[in-house]
Amino acid sequence: MKKKILVIEDNPMVVKSLEFKLLKEGYDVVTAIDGRSAMEQLENNHFDLILTDLMLPFVSGNQLIEYIKKNHPNIPIIVLSTATQEDIITNAFTMGVDDFITKPFSPNELALRVKRSIGSFKNQLSDN
Amino acid sequence: MLTPPYIIDLPSLLEINLVMSLVFFILAISLISLILYLRVHKNFRNQRKDKLEVLLIDFINNYLFNEDFDKPNEINRFIKNQLKTTLDKKVATKQLLVYAENLKGESSAVIKEIFYGFGLYNFLIQDLTQKEWYRQARALNVAYQLDMDIPMDLVDSFINAKNKEVRQQAFLYLIHRSTDNPLGFLDKVTTPLTLWEQIHIENGLKTYEGVPPDFSRWLYHKLTSVVVFNLKMIADYNQYQHIPILLKFLNHKDLEIRLQTIISLRKMEAPEMIPILVENFSKENPQIKKEILITLGEIGLEEQLKSVAPFILQEELDLRVSYLKIARHLNPGGAKEEIDDFKKITMLQA
Repeated sequence: MKKKILVIEDNPMVVKSLEFKLLKEGYDVVTAIDGRSAMEQLENNHFDLILTDLMLPFVSGNQLIEYIKKNHPNIPIIVLSTATQEDIITNAFTMGVDDFITKPFSPNELALRVKRSIGSFKNQLSDN
Repeated sequence: MLTPPYIIDLPSLLEINLVMSLVFFILAISLISLILYLRVHKNFRNQRKDKLEVLLIDFINNYLFNEDFDKPNEINRFIKNQLKTTLDKKVATKQLLVYAENLKGESSAVIKEIFYGFGLYNFLIQDLTQKEWYRQARALNVAYQLDMDIPMDLVDSFINAKNKEVRQQAFLYLIHRSTDNPLGFLDKVTTPLTLWEQIHIENGLKTYEGVPPDFSRWLYHKLTSVVVFNLKMIADYNQYQHIPILLKFLNHKDLEIRLQTIISLRKMEAPEMIPILVENFSKENPQIKKEILITLGEIGLEEQLKSVAPFILQEELDLRVSYLKIARHLNPGGAKEEIDDFKKITMLQA
């Protein structure tokens, strides 16, 4: 069965590219353009990984990560952000994200990191 | 053409009134038509842009990630069917820039390949050779963002461009494209650098990946703004080896250069400057005097501060306040005593 990824990003170009690349890699991809619709998607679907930006309309990336950690603690999260400040990255890891990718990003590298995070032990737990 | 009799019979005042009404009516109709035309035209443009953006995203994604994509044929087909007008080329360039901004690694090279494949390089060169400043600036920006080689004689011609935006984009391009001499263009600068341009150069240097230049090379430039900028950079980049040159600049004839020299040396915490500053204090203007006081507060001694007090004039109220603040900073316990001392030294009895 295909693994399902939720991509939360408000830049249409990035969304389309991620969707295209991840579909090519054999994943099921669902996209959300803001935190609010991401929460709705999380209530109605099961995901194997979440790929999210930090700067999102309505609900910020940090609020969204808190929500996911509280309600879906076993889904791995990868942050994809333009932020390069150490405190932002450290804060994201403190909140429990599994990986942090800075923009501009290499699509091939991203695909590898997605594969690694999906195969992580924590995610194995969520399957059980 | 015969004029209807009821118009001929009208009094002349009414006739003028009628003609003017007609003229204004025609003007109003023309204006409304023009607004409507512009609106409709803009809507068509926006619709075309939106449609083309979707097609471009789909095309670029296929080009980037679809191994079965017939690149040569598809690119020709796309040019033939979609990239017909200047607007189309502008939209394609903009979309490729968005990709370049967000993707790196192997994708960057592919994005450049698409740019060349679409024939947008010729479009860019065309823009560079146009008279309109916004086309030149846009082309320079695209070349900078996509890391493209463009004829250097063309870029050099913009180093002293009258338009600030064009000039800034040229600076950014030259810094970004340089491998070993990012500020080499300063040798060709003949018009003063504005503060905003200096900020742009400074920011450009922050993303420069090579070895930072030796800023002392431009300390004898004929333009004050270039010298001031390099004095600032010497301190920002901790080029301590240039302190001896900067010490000589404390006696420079140009006030702006002296001022920046003091600030830079203070930032580098060079105590060798203090005796020169103390000696020069009485001859300096209030702005430089204030910088000297701040410097004495940061890296000087209380005695050195007291030695300049007699040269603070009665009307230099701002300096007197600064002096007392700094004196308190150097000797936190003796505020009252400092004020009395100051009054004695400066002969300023309340």
